[in-house]
Amino acid sequence: MSRYFYYLVFVNMIANVVASVPKILLLEKTEGAILSMVLALPLGLVLCYIVAKFFNRFPGKGLPEIMKKYLPRWFTFPIIILIAFGWFMAGMITLITYSFLLKRFLTPDMPLVWITAIFLLFISYGILMKTSSVLYTVEFVLVCCLPVIFIIIIKAYTTAEMEWDFVKESMMYVYRLPTFSALAASTYLLLGGFNLIIFNRFFTKRKQKITLLQILFLGIVAFGSLFTTYFVPIGLNGFEGVETISYPWITTSDALRLELGIIERVLFVFLILYLAVSFLSLLIHWHVSLELFRSVIQIKRLKWKEKNLVPYIIIGVFWIISLQLTKYLTEHQLTIYTSYFFDGLLISFIAMVGLFWFILRRAKA
Amino acid sequence: MPLKGKKQVNVDEAIVGILEELKLTGDVVHKPLRMDDKEIELLYIKTVVDGDQLHQLIIKPFFELGHLHHVASYLNSLPNQQEVQSQEQILLDLTKGSVLVKLNKDLLLFDVKKVNTNTVRETSVEPTILGPQYALSEDLATNINLIRQRYHKPSLTVEMHEVGSKTNQSLAVIYDQNVVKEGVLKEVNSRISELDQDIVQSTTQLQRFMNNRTRSLLPTMMATERTDRIVYNLAGGKVILLVDGSPSTVIAPAVFFDFMTSMEDNYGLYWVTKFSKFLRYLGLFACLILPGLYVAATSFNPEVFRVELALSIAGSRIGVPYPSFVEVLFMLIIMELLTEASIRLPKAVTGTATTVGGLILGTAATEAALASNIMIIIVAAVAISTFVIPINEMSYAIRVIRYILLLFASIAGLAGLALALIGILMYMTNKDSFGEPYFKIYFNQKRAETGDNPS
Repeated sequence: MSRYFYYLVFVNMIANVVASVPKILLLEKTEGAILSMVLALPLGLVLCYIVAKFFNRFPGKGLPEIMKKYLPRWFTFPIIILIAFGWFMAGMITLITYSFLLKRFLTPDMPLVWITAIFLLFISYGILMKTSSVLYTVEFVLVCCLPVIFIIIIKAYTTAEMEWDFVKESMMYVYRLPTFSALAASTYLLLGGFNLIIFNRFFTKRKQKITLLQILFLGIVAFGSLFTTYFVPIGLNGFEGVETISYPWITTSDALRLELGIIERVLFVFLILYLAVSFLSLLIHWHVSLELFRSVIQIKRLKWKEKNLVPYIIIGVFWIISLQLTKYLTEHQLTIYTSYFFDGLLISFIAMVGLFWFILRRAKA
Repeated sequence: MPLKGKKQVNVDEAIVGILEELKLTGDVVHKPLRMDDKEIELLYIKTVVDGDQLHQLIIKPFFELGHLHHVASYLNSLPNQQEVQSQEQILLDLTKGSVLVKLNKDLLLFDVKKVNTNTVRETSVEPTILGPQYALSEDLATNINLIRQRYHKPSLTVEMHEVGSKTNQSLAVIYDQNVVKEGVLKEVNSRISELDQDIVQSTTQLQRFMNNRTRSLLPTMMATERTDRIVYNLAGGKVILLVDGSPSTVIAPAVFFDFMTSMEDNYGLYWVTKFSKFLRYLGLFACLILPGLYVAATSFNPEVFRVELALSIAGSRIGVPYPSFVEVLFMLIIMELLTEASIRLPKAVTGTATTVGGLILGTAATEAALASNIMIIIVAAVAISTFVIPINEMSYAIRVIRYILLLFASIAGLAGLALALIGILMYMTNKDSFGEPYFKIYFNQKRAETGDNPS
């Protein structure tokens, strides 16, 4: 695959380190979180391979175009709406999590709604861009952020405060049976490839097949990030009581210090980096969501100065729902709902594989 | 081809018509030359025609050659003879410096224009230490000559157009036929044909008229006066536009990174140029974020920096009576005014302006507690690093972007600054210059990345 495919996967992988995934995993620390992660790795990779392989067959086409061609309209419409809503929720979780995070750590004086609104302002511009522009933005931000994130992770592993004894202690629960929510949360890390349902419009060349070597590479990176997501907070914060921390990774990064840096507390570097990466994650998810909605909701008459207003109305709805939800949710509720969302997502993605199989059958016939 | 006068009436009518059009012009010369039985008529505008050349080329041979058909064959074989198509075209060429000759029943047109703007000037906008020191002139023919002298290839193509419905300036479109991208060339030509301006006086004006938008911030065509840059871009498959009377060209398409390249990058040693490139991007980054960072760090997140730094910033702000964004805005605006003034002022007065401005920006402002010491350092750093950007239009655009970042840093602190930076990035990636993405990272070979679909 071209390099842009990796970015889609990586953004999902990195963005969720800071969000709810480690929190959900740590809640299951005595209940088989480790085995869930071990299981999630092959499961996620297989899903990743299937989706890449499927879209390789239809170069330059997104899921809406493919479904419209091979499936009846009454079936396409609700499915696309459902998927679009799923992607909208995925972005929404990132948005609200990060707004909470900013409120708590970076700008405690600002009202929550104001923080969310600033995010929404830039996101609204971003998701209206061309698909290729979204990918160029993602690439540039990632290229800037990844080296620094890598250095921070190296620092976390090598710092004297990292106690491997805690990690060993957590390893004692490796025999516990995996739980579904831990499995779903850790698989979510690998599901960035599913953004191809819209971004495949950009991949127009047929020869870019996904190979097993590339999957192996993704697997190694995924192993690294799952391991880091789960064990570094335990090693730095201790095994006991780590699940009570609301943002395990933020607290973890605050344990690190740059002795000679202009910015002494790694926390702030980390926050800004993750602000950027979360923004990318949100950008990708909502771009997919908006494009999906647009592909099925077409009202030709709704025009003003030769511009179709439908996308703007959809964005307006995005704004209203996000602002209302931000006001309504608490941090605890957010974690619980996120967990439910991941559970549902895993099931529906497996259902989506069924859909791909169905489409392939129709396409061959 | 001469306007074949099958009927003599036509040629005479044409001359009468032209004279009628030009009758109010004081500098028209309509002169019959007669000797024995030879007779021709000259019609031209005195002020745009090179008198010496006219004398050498036409008047003297007329009196030296024995017979009228000798004169005719001499005139018809002159290399600077032009085509005669219509009365309007004759009129237009007369105003550009052509001489109309009536010979028997034919009208002949000769290009003997006098050009006073063909002196080649030294580079003033983009100076380099190494590399060619002369730029372009203000005459189109001289400029094309300068470019051809540096690019010896038969595939170099010069297309001529006319722009400006009132001034009818010549516009040359120059490209290398072998390497130019068809799509870009087509786009450029279609936009030229869509131009409906009355007056086009400078090549850089085209930049604004040809980007299909009424409002834009970042340049999508690169203006340059350096011949080596022109040749470098020609070889890279770009299209060069040149308007007669303008000492600079514009290059299309141009992406963001083109504006950050100095020609000197090609002449220096590898690590030296890499270092100066790094400095340039550092400067770009510094002049973009420093003002916003100052506001964010003093008003929103003093805890971000290490304690010593946070304390010294806070300490230097003691006595400053207003919030940090007012302070930054105040100092930045004074700095911009100073820059503006030193561009516009006559050279003799510039020194005064900078001295006075330096006094205001310097110690006086801090002693009056209008700004902190650290603010002065930041403003100075910003001012200097703005000028590190090699191409002028880009550094002007960056100047404006700085205020957008400052605005969001004042609204939402560090988070606002970071988001606004991404916002600017999105604005750039969403732009394109004649079909090329304006901002993207080029990892692969150039040809692989610039195709129509570089996935």
